[in-house]
Order: sequence, then C-alpha cells, then structure tokens
Amino acid sequence: MTPLSTPDIAEDLDLLGVPTLDADWQTVVWNDPVNLMSYVVHVFRSYFGYSAAEANRLMLGVHNDGHAVVAEGLREQMELHAQAMHDYGLWATVRKAPAA
Amino acid sequence: MSGSAGTVVLELTRIEAVHLRGLVGQFVDLLAETADADTDPAVARLVPSAYPDDDASAAEFRSLTQSDLLRRRADDAGAVLADLAMAGDVSDPQELRPEDALSEVVIVLDRDRTSAWLRTLAAVRLVLASRLGITSEDDRDADDPRFGVYEWLGYRLDGLTVAASVDD
Repeated sequence: MTPLSTPDIAEDLDLLGVPTLDADWQTVVWNDPVNLMSYVVHVFRSYFGYSAAEANRLMLGVHNDGHAVVAEGLREQMELHAQAMHDYGLWATVRKAPAA
Repeated sequence: MSGSAGTVVLELTRIEAVHLRGLVGQFVDLLAETADADTDPAVARLVPSAYPDDDASAAEFRSLTQSDLLRRRADDAGAVLADLAMAGDVSDPQELRPEDALSEVVIVLDRDRTSAWLRTLAAVRLVLASRLGITSEDDRDADDPRFGVYEWLGYRLDGLTVAASVDD
C-alpha cells in the first residue's frame, strides 16, 4: 500500500510555468484567395491523416480566422510539415507557440 | 470519376486535354527558365517563406528546401504531361478536328499519380492567380478569358479532389 502523497501545490504551479523546451513549435497554415476549400480539406486528411471532421474544422479556421495551427511539436518536424504544405501549394509557416 | 483501390478515373474532353497540356507545358517552361524564384512572384508563391518574421531562419529553411520543392513541381508536372501525352497525340488546339474536340479522354491515376495531378493543378492555378492579380476570392473579370481558364482549372481540381477523397 502506498500512502497518499501530499502534493506541494506551489511547486506544481512552478513546474507548470516552465515551457517545454523543444516541443512547443507550430505549423500554421494561412488563408489565401486561390486554394479551394475542398482541396485544403483533402490535403489535411491525406497528409496528416486527420478525420474528415478535424480536417474540416482546421480548414474553416484557415478560411474564417485567416490561419490555423495544423500541427504542434518539435521544430524540425514542424519544418517538414511546412515543406509538405508548400508541396501542395498551401501557405504554411513555422513558429514557436505563442505564450498561452 | 472515382475508381477502386485508390485509383481515380479522370474523364476529360479532348479539347480540355489539349489545353491542359499547353498550360502545364508552359508551367514546366516557367520553372526551367526561372533561376531565381525571387525574380517572379508567381514562382515565389510556390516557395513561400516559412519564417516571415525571422530572416535568418527563413533564409536557412529556403536554402534547405527551395530547390527540392521546385524540382518536385517540375517532376509532378512532367508526370501530368506524360499522362496527357498517352491520352492523345494532338498538342495544338488548332489541329484538333471539331468532331474530335468533345470526344472523351480517359486517364487512370493511381494514388501517387493522383497526388501529382492535384499538386500540379493547384500550382498552375497559383501561377495563373498571380498573373491575373487575384488578391481576394471575389476578384473576377468576365471580359478576360484567362479567368475562364482559371475557373475551369478550379472546377477540374475540385472534381479530382472529390474523387481522390472517396477512399480516405
């Protein structure tokens, strides 16, 4: 039997305040007046393997809000995703996740 | 327009195939003639900056990816041209007999080839949009026949997208 530990709440809060060092990068896809909505959904589905609902949600984010975060993680991985989006003609950038 | 086992059966009229061959051929020529993407906004659009707010990272990303990206556009376009060449030997719309113009051309695409077609049609539309100065979804000029070509490419790209998405 393991006794219930008493969490040190103040310390936990400190830990939450430390950003993850290498996995908080994002691939962002931006709206453009040319690419078709159906095409953007197809790219998100076929490349990222997103469900139809998720791909549609992201496409609407691009269309309505001007951009959407399509992936988050390691910087090198985000650059590969951006390059793949460029292959499909989508306008993608890489950025460090903005502070919440 | 959908097929089985990830294949797509694309049906075009011969006059469409001839025009598409001309457009994609021009696209290949443009890529071959443009040594520096910066000198042509249409080509630059195919290799956008990944770091618009960070010049050093943007330059590094571009040095690692740009030539490969443009080579893949040329490879994709070359595959499309090969498929169109298989589908018919007429390359000049003027040589097409009127009675043949609306006859059907059937092109069967596997999954990889479908992707090459999608990327090529999307890239050619981006180049056309740049040449036409399209900056919003509402930009249209009914008197400019190039807008008709742009709309037609969009119609074909949408159809191919829907067909390719059936098996997802």
